[in-house]
Parts: sequence; C-alpha cells; structure tokens
Amino acid sequence: MKGFLQYIPGNSILHQLSPITKLALSVLLCACAFLSSSILYISFLLLLVLGLSAMSGIGRSALQIFSLLLKLSLILFLAQIFFIREGDVLVRLPLNLFITDEGLAFAILIALRLMLSALPLALIITVTPMSDLAGAMVQKLRIPYKYAFALTTAIRFIPIFSTEISEIIEAQRARGVNFDTKNIFKKIRLILPLCLPLLVSSIKKTEYIALSAEMRGFALRNRKSGYKSYAFKGRDLIALLAGVFIIAASLLINLP
Amino acid sequence: MIIFDNVSFSYGKTQIIEKISFRVAPGEFVAIVGPNGAGKTTVSKLARGLLRPTSGTVTIDALNTRTTKASKIARTTGFLFQNPDRQICQNTVRDEIAFNLKIQGKSDDETTSRVEELISLFGFDPNASPFRLSRGERQRLALASALSAKPKILILDEPTTGLDYRECMKIMNLIKSENLAGTTVFMICHDMEIVSDFAERILVIADGRLIADGNPDTIFFNKEICAKAALLPPQIAELSQRLGGAYQGIRHVDNLFGAIRKNFKGEATL
Amino acid sequence: MIKFENFSFTYPDAPAPALKNINLEIQKGAFLGIIGPSGAGKSTLTYAINGAIPHYYQGVCQGQVMVDGIDVFDSTPETISLKVGSVFGDVESFFVASVVEEEILFGLENFNIPRSEIEGRITSALDAVGISELRYRSISSLSGGQKQKVAISAAIALRPQILLLDEPTSELDPQSSRQIFSLLRTLNKSNGMTIVVVEQKIMLLCEYVDRLTVINDGEIYSTGSVRDVLSTPSKLEKIGVNCPRVTTLSSKLAAAGLTNEPVALNLNEAESMVRRIIRDYIR
Repeated sequence: MKGFLQYIPGNSILHQLSPITKLALSVLLCACAFLSSSILYISFLLLLVLGLSAMSGIGRSALQIFSLLLKLSLILFLAQIFFIREGDVLVRLPLNLFITDEGLAFAILIALRLMLSALPLALIITVTPMSDLAGAMVQKLRIPYKYAFALTTAIRFIPIFSTEISEIIEAQRARGVNFDTKNIFKKIRLILPLCLPLLVSSIKKTEYIALSAEMRGFALRNRKSGYKSYAFKGRDLIALLAGVFIIAASLLINLP
Repeated sequence: MIIFDNVSFSYGKTQIIEKISFRVAPGEFVAIVGPNGAGKTTVSKLARGLLRPTSGTVTIDALNTRTTKASKIARTTGFLFQNPDRQICQNTVRDEIAFNLKIQGKSDDETTSRVEELISLFGFDPNASPFRLSRGERQRLALASALSAKPKILILDEPTTGLDYRECMKIMNLIKSENLAGTTVFMICHDMEIVSDFAERILVIADGRLIADGNPDTIFFNKEICAKAALLPPQIAELSQRLGGAYQGIRHVDNLFGAIRKNFKGEATL
Repeated sequence: MIKFENFSFTYPDAPAPALKNINLEIQKGAFLGIIGPSGAGKSTLTYAINGAIPHYYQGVCQGQVMVDGIDVFDSTPETISLKVGSVFGDVESFFVASVVEEEILFGLENFNIPRSEIEGRITSALDAVGISELRYRSISSLSGGQKQKVAISAAIALRPQILLLDEPTSELDPQSSRQIFSLLRTLNKSNGMTIVVVEQKIMLLCEYVDRLTVINDGEIYSTGSVRDVLSTPSKLEKIGVNCPRVTTLSSKLAAAGLTNEPVALNLNEAESMVRRIIRDYIR
C-alpha cells in the first residue's frame, strides 16, 4: 500500500491541467457513470482513465486504486445479483437463489458505475499537490481557506494513516496476534483493539499539525494570500470540451 | 538460534538486503549497527519472521520463517519496536502485560502469576492507564509485555531512541539482566556508547550488506569499517587509540582512568 | 533577545506546575542548548518562547516572557511567529503540504509576503539549508534527515531572528544528526540567527552549542557556558543527564589531582589533556 493516494510529482498533461479542470472532469465522468446505462461505454471510459493515467506516469497507483475499487464493487455486485428476479434464469442455486441475465447485466453496471465514479476523483490526488487543490478552490470557487485546508489535510492524512495502520498491525503481529484467521467475526475482534493506538496517534498528529499551521500564520490567511494563480489555459479548455463531448456521448450512445 | 543463510530481500524492484549470512548462538548479546536506511530494521523483521526473505533462509529457534506463522514464533521470541505506542492497545498496565499471554492461550493462573511477577520487577502501578505514562515508562511497559512469555530470544529495534539517559539505562539494565539469565539479545542501536557497554558482538550493515561481524574491539578499532558504515566509535575507544602505547585498546572510562593513574608515581597520595 | 522573568506555568488538570519560577536570559546571536530528563519541562519552555503558551496551550501562568522586546502574552501568535521560527520533534506532523516547495510557500503566503519577494525567499531558504535540489520532491519520498532540513527551511523562510528546535535529531543516525547541527551552526555564525535547541544527545551539544541550560523538575538546574555546566559530571548524572565519557574521564583525572585544568568537552581536548599529564610527569 506504499504510496497509496499520494501525490506523485510529474510533468504530464494531467499534472499541468488546472486543479479546477481536473475537479470538473472527475465530476463529469462521475455524471457519465450514472447517466449512461451502457456497460460497453462505461468500460470504455474506465479504460480511457486507466490509459491516461499510464501515459501520465501514475499507472501503478491507478491500478492500486482500481484494484481496491474492484474489491468494493465485487461486494456491490454480489449484493445486487441475487435481488433482481426479472429476466431469463441463467444459473439456479440452492436456497431458492438464482441469477438472471438482467440481474447479471444490472449488477455489472452498478459495479462499473461505482468504479468510474470514484476512480477519477481518487486519481486527482496523485496528480495534484494538495496545496494547489486548496489554493485553486479558494481562488476560483471562493471556498474559505479554512475549509479547503481542512479538506486537503484530511486527504493528505489518508496515506499517513494507512502507513500507521499497517505499522500497528505489524507491531501486534510481532507480539503474537494472528490476523490470518478466516473467521470474519474473529478478525473484527482482533482488529477492534487497534483503534485505540490509532486514535491516540491521530489525535496527537492533528494537534501538532494545527499548532504547526498556527505557528506559521495560518490565521492570517485570506483569499488574496495565494502566490500561485490557477489561470485557465488552452489545454484546460480542450480538456473541458472533451469532457462535455464525453457526457453528450453518454446520453446519445445506448449500447448494451 | 538465529541463522541467516544467504538472505536477500527486495521490496518491489528495490533490493534492500543482499546475501547476508550469520549465526547468533544462544545467550549472545548482538548489536546491529549502520547508518539510517542501511537495512537494519529489515534484518530485525526478517529475523522475527514479520518479513520473509526473497531468497535464502532465516531460521529462528529452529523454525524456518518461510514456513512458520509469525504468531508461532511469538512463543519463543519477544520483539520491541522503537515506538511503543503502536503496540499498546489495552486500558491498564496489567491488561497490557497480560495481552501477549492471553493471545498465546496461556491459562489464567499462569498469566496472573507472570503478570504480577513482571509488575513487581518493573515497579509499575498495575491499574494505571498506559496512555498516561511518560514515553520512557511506555517503552518499559512494551518491554515488560515482550518479556511476558519468557522468550528465549529478544529482538530490539532501537529500544532507547527518544529516551533520556536515565530511562535509557533503566531499559538497558533490564535487557542486560535478561541476557545474563540466558536470553539471546539481538539489538539494533545507533548509540555506540551503549553498544560498547552492553554488546558482545557487533554486526555492521551498510547498503544492505553485512560488512563486518566481530567483537566491539575489532569493530571500533578498525578505521576502514567505521568510515564505511559512518560509525562514530565510542569516545574512550577512540581516545585510547589516539594515545597509543599502553593505553591502546581500552574501551571504558574507569579502565582508561586506572591505566593513566597507574603510570604515575604519585599514586600513593591519590 | 529572550527573557523569562519569574515565569511559572501549570497545564490544566496537572497536579504540579510544569515550569516553576524560571529566570533566564538568552542573548541575541546565542546558540543555546537545553537538556534535561524527560518530563522536566523542556518542551513547555519552548512553547513559552514561540507563543504556543498561552495562545494554544492554556493554563495557569505567572511572570513574564519577553521576546525581542515584546511581551508574549500581550501579542498575537502571528507577531511572534515572525520573530521565532519553530521546528518540532515529530517532524511528520509538522508538514502541511506534500511537496517541498509548497511547504515553504505555506508560511510566506499566510503572511502575505509580496509576490516579487517570494521566489527569492524560497530559493534562499532552500539554499541556506543546502537542499535546493529537493525543491520539487514529494516530502514522503525524503529521508529523515532531509525532512528535518525541509522543516528548518520552511521555518527560516519567514526570516525569523530566532530559530527554536525541539529534539531535531531524535530519529536520526549519528551522521545525519551532525549534519543538522553543523547546519544550525552555520545559520548561527554566518546569519547571526539566535538558536535555541532542545536536545538529548550531549555529545552534539558539546561539539556545537555555546551555552547550555539544564532543566530539572520544572526548574533551571544550571545555565552557563557548556564547560561550566559540565564541570561536575557526577552531579548531573544524579538528575539523569549524562556527560560525554571524555568529560567524565577528565573530571576524574582532576579529582585525582593529576590535572587542574577545566574539564575536557571533546576528544581533542581530552587527548591534549592526557598528553600534558604524561609530559609533565616525564619532566
């Protein structure tokens, strides 16, 4: 999980787009995921996102996030597939469970929708320094800096916490806790006590970071304080046009 | 007791440990030294079976770490991290020490008596909340729980970092007395004064390789190795080396002081 | 530059004061080390200098702390942070950004430093610390020593007169620790920055700082030149502060009547002391 949801410096087109453009594109893709009911089109968009990520040198983290989303989608997929009873029965299972063709198609669609709606948003984090995201939100979207900072700090803490959690788990393994158990309830019972050290360390960390920000004039910050400007450039316009095209296509194309 | 046989370890494409071999005999006190990022922590985790070698074999207490569950190794090996806060997860000092024994399925009677024994040895308040203790106390608590199952081997990753001198000595003296009682100690340490005071043998690691293995004298008095691993030899060792002659090779303050004093006629009046 | 007058501080709900009746004066351009057992009040002392007390940590205070002629209690945390740059022990929680440049920019933006000045401030802050090549790196990819330097560079970008550090080397190996201290010495000697550093590693303090303050149990145990403070190693060891081994050796030699020189602080001094003893004997 090293480097998970962490900024990766680079010079690709994705890195150079304005943070607002990236935010808008993710929202557009998210909208496509729900507007289109074409499995083929959504799969195409997912592949497009993965391809663009690979071209921008963040292919590895894109795959990391993708595989995590895949696991989540699988749960959603399994939850859906047995509930739809319309259509032709494909497989009959014990306990009066069966899978229909419509159920299968719908479950796949839901799973793909989840992936497409979350992947681009998560990828912004790997191609945008959080301070740029905060800065652009303050300048362009007129969001007060306090909130932008809180949001970006929360995002920045994700990898820090994921490292912390894996280190806590390692420390517990070292004293003999066996996390390999297949029994989910037993596993939860083993993991629950670990919330205590995690809580203690996160309270300490947030307290320090607040102090550190305050010591460097956080309270004085206003909208004019930003040094960088996040002007829209030609490439932002092209990217947004592409986004509009994609969303228009999602309405027009009605492939299965 | 701990055997590394041609062990390599890589994380992704990065090679962290390259072909390391050594053996630690029962009852030894071995220190692992070397600069940050040399791979010392990886060696300690490999020894404990928290990581498995990419190639080669690690054996601890006759168990091959590749085929043994990490939880089984816990029965004979205690492990102490640099930061005790990732380990402490119980609400009282008593429960924290008992935790290791409980997860190993020890009987209640056995657990209670061992916990009481450790509480009096360490001088803890058994009902105190671990999170309210000082950093040094929390480190001692982590050591107590690492010792609870009476391990044959103790692996320590920088046990004294962030502690003041007094806390440092408390921890080290406890570790030393365990060692004298027969426990094998395998310890990563940056402080050469501590290494010189407590360890019998030193493994020097630099750039993922084992570049020297020997007793403190042969390591500290070898300029080439010290330079290679950015080691700062303990002051007295360095001073005695610089003075040369009869003083050469002395490592301890009292010994050097004695040697200097002995050379003077005025000794009778001292 | 910094002046504590009869200063006491008690944290809320604490049974005893963390600092008791502190009187301490730190001169402009000083390079002061603070040492003492854990829980003695070292960090609390730094909080009183950078205004974290009373503006962040509230509690019961008595007495006065003046920084560059300003009463810390009557001013805002912002006024003080332009005078005092702070670097805390847990450097991971110090950072507010994910890229080195952004980290340095943070304070500059907050204080509305004129646009035309910012680029120069960033380059000189990176230069002074010797990490210009790290400017566009992501902070999480750096080593412990490099992270510590980034924190120092972010603190000095605001051009404070005083730099305050709380155990900057606790996670570092001996070599990186020395790098940090020689950097502090350069900032002190060439830029005239007043430096106050809390540190447990006595050998580093002996080698680099000019003055030493020992804190024990919320009080100043002793303060003065490093040599004066370390002149009685056995007394310091009683309160849990160790001396370099060569200092202990030289004090033993003096106690045995073999020399009447002041204690040795480092290897070179100890070597010449012992050589003089031997030479005098031969003569």
